[in-house]
Amino acid sequence: MAVTAQPEPRPAPAGRPWLAGLDRRGVLVGGGLVVLLLVLVYVGSEGLRWFDAALAGYLVGTLLAVFGTAYRYVVWVERPPTRALRARGWQAFWGSGRRLRNLARLPDVLWTRLVGQGFIRSRSLSRWIAHQCVFWGCVLAALVTFPLTFGWLHFESVGQDDARYRAFVAGLGTVEFESRSVAGWLMFHALDVAAVLVLVGVFTFLVRRLRDPGALAVERSGDFLVLAGLFAVSVTGLMLTVSSLWMDGRFYTFLTNVHAATVILGLLYIPFGKLFHIFQRPGTVGLAYTKERWAHEEAATCRGCGEPYAPATQVDDLRRVLPELGFDYRIDPARGGGDHLGFCPRCRRALVARAQSLRVGGFG
Amino acid sequence: MSDDAVFVIDHSRCIGCRACVQACEECGTHRGRSMIHLDEVDAGPLGSRQTAPTVCMHCTDPTCAEVCPADAIKQNEDGVVQSALKPRCIACSNCVLACPFGVPKVVGEIDLMMKCDLCLDRTSAGSKPMCASVCPSDALWYGTPEEFAATRVGTLGDVFAFGDQAVTTRVKVVLGEEPGPLDVLSGRAPASWLDDPFALGEAS
Repeated sequence: MAVTAQPEPRPAPAGRPWLAGLDRRGVLVGGGLVVLLLVLVYVGSEGLRWFDAALAGYLVGTLLAVFGTAYRYVVWVERPPTRALRARGWQAFWGSGRRLRNLARLPDVLWTRLVGQGFIRSRSLSRWIAHQCVFWGCVLAALVTFPLTFGWLHFESVGQDDARYRAFVAGLGTVEFESRSVAGWLMFHALDVAAVLVLVGVFTFLVRRLRDPGALAVERSGDFLVLAGLFAVSVTGLMLTVSSLWMDGRFYTFLTNVHAATVILGLLYIPFGKLFHIFQRPGTVGLAYTKERWAHEEAATCRGCGEPYAPATQVDDLRRVLPELGFDYRIDPARGGGDHLGFCPRCRRALVARAQSLRVGGFG
Repeated sequence: MSDDAVFVIDHSRCIGCRACVQACEECGTHRGRSMIHLDEVDAGPLGSRQTAPTVCMHCTDPTCAEVCPADAIKQNEDGVVQSALKPRCIACSNCVLACPFGVPKVVGEIDLMMKCDLCLDRTSAGSKPMCASVCPSDALWYGTPEEFAATRVGTLGDVFAFGDQAVTTRVKVVLGEEPGPLDVLSGRAPASWLDDPFALGEAS
């Protein structure tokens, strides 16, 4: 359908056909991050002194997730439209001569766009509450699980007093706390708190997904899969606490293995499924600066109605991107030249309507 | 409704009653917001105006999905191009500006591109889309090709020529007796006779 010729795929290296489809840059970045993480684990755990071998499975899962996520991220940001918008984002943020102002605004942009998630609140209050619960539950769980897995965080009793503990991060002593105080309880049960938060969010989402006809209509298998995964991780994690507090440790080893399996499978799912939006969404920060810049720039004027309809820069970027994607919306010079992007959306609709009506003898 | 039912548009039959606009707001995937564009277009050289409804044409190779930097626009297994995935859409408006039919809308306050999803909640259950079920003049129509042939005149077209680009769609338009691609540029606004009362432009 598209008239622009597609580049021929590169021939596979002899004897290594499975490598042909891999993105070399993605492999390099993913592999580099894996090596970097291994070095940080070694250094942060003081030469593996505080690395807990029982958590090795989590580390392997994390390394695979890091590679997969980095690989997909690199492939994603190199897509022509993503690359173009990313370049505009950096240009608006860093190259516009307003760096200090942009930096000063960054906390506000990060808060509104990523942390506060006001756009979800505008969609639906229940949806926002559910997402905030899952968001903060996952953040809290990540802040505890990853440092523990990497050997960056451990606890030591203070002197001979087993009632007081000190948390060490990368070998550096930080806060001291009473083990039986509220702070101590929260410290040792942070993952339980995280699991409860996630479960509240998961059930709220689930109720919506099962009741809302609109949500059901556009349901994708991944929507339920991610909820099932979060549920499994949270419940098996809570069961560990239940076993140790109220079941005298029965089934603890079995539960440990089941919990580890759910977490590792969850980590492996990140690059492939819905959770990848965690890494895509920050792109909206660059877009905030880009839109601000575009608002002060020249607007493209519709060749049909003469009205401004979009930032000229964005339209020009699309003119460059579309041929890369195999589209050619150019118009023959004999019919006026230019391209179809030069029409505003309203004029495009009017063109189709008039062209169709002419084929059936006109309106009316 | 049969599985091979098709959505058909005949802009020329629109009477501007806005029933489709109201009905669209009832659709479960975007309750309270109409995804129908009902435009007034110049319809003739004497400056007459005509309303024309537009829904998503559900292209087989959707430009909107290809230009989405967030990879947020997906087609389902039936070829329905869905509104942007909520977790991914960053409301950049690339889809709005690239869609050759001028269909997607970006709703700023919720950071989301929205458009007609072909009433998936209804069509997947065998019902007609909301707009087609209320259109009194059959400008928006939903049924099988056999029903169309039995009750309507004209042929159905699903190939559009936008300059050098051909676009094939799931939604069809009514053509005259002559089948073939719809040359969209043939719909350029008719010049008003007041601009050139003696047709001097044509003479040159």
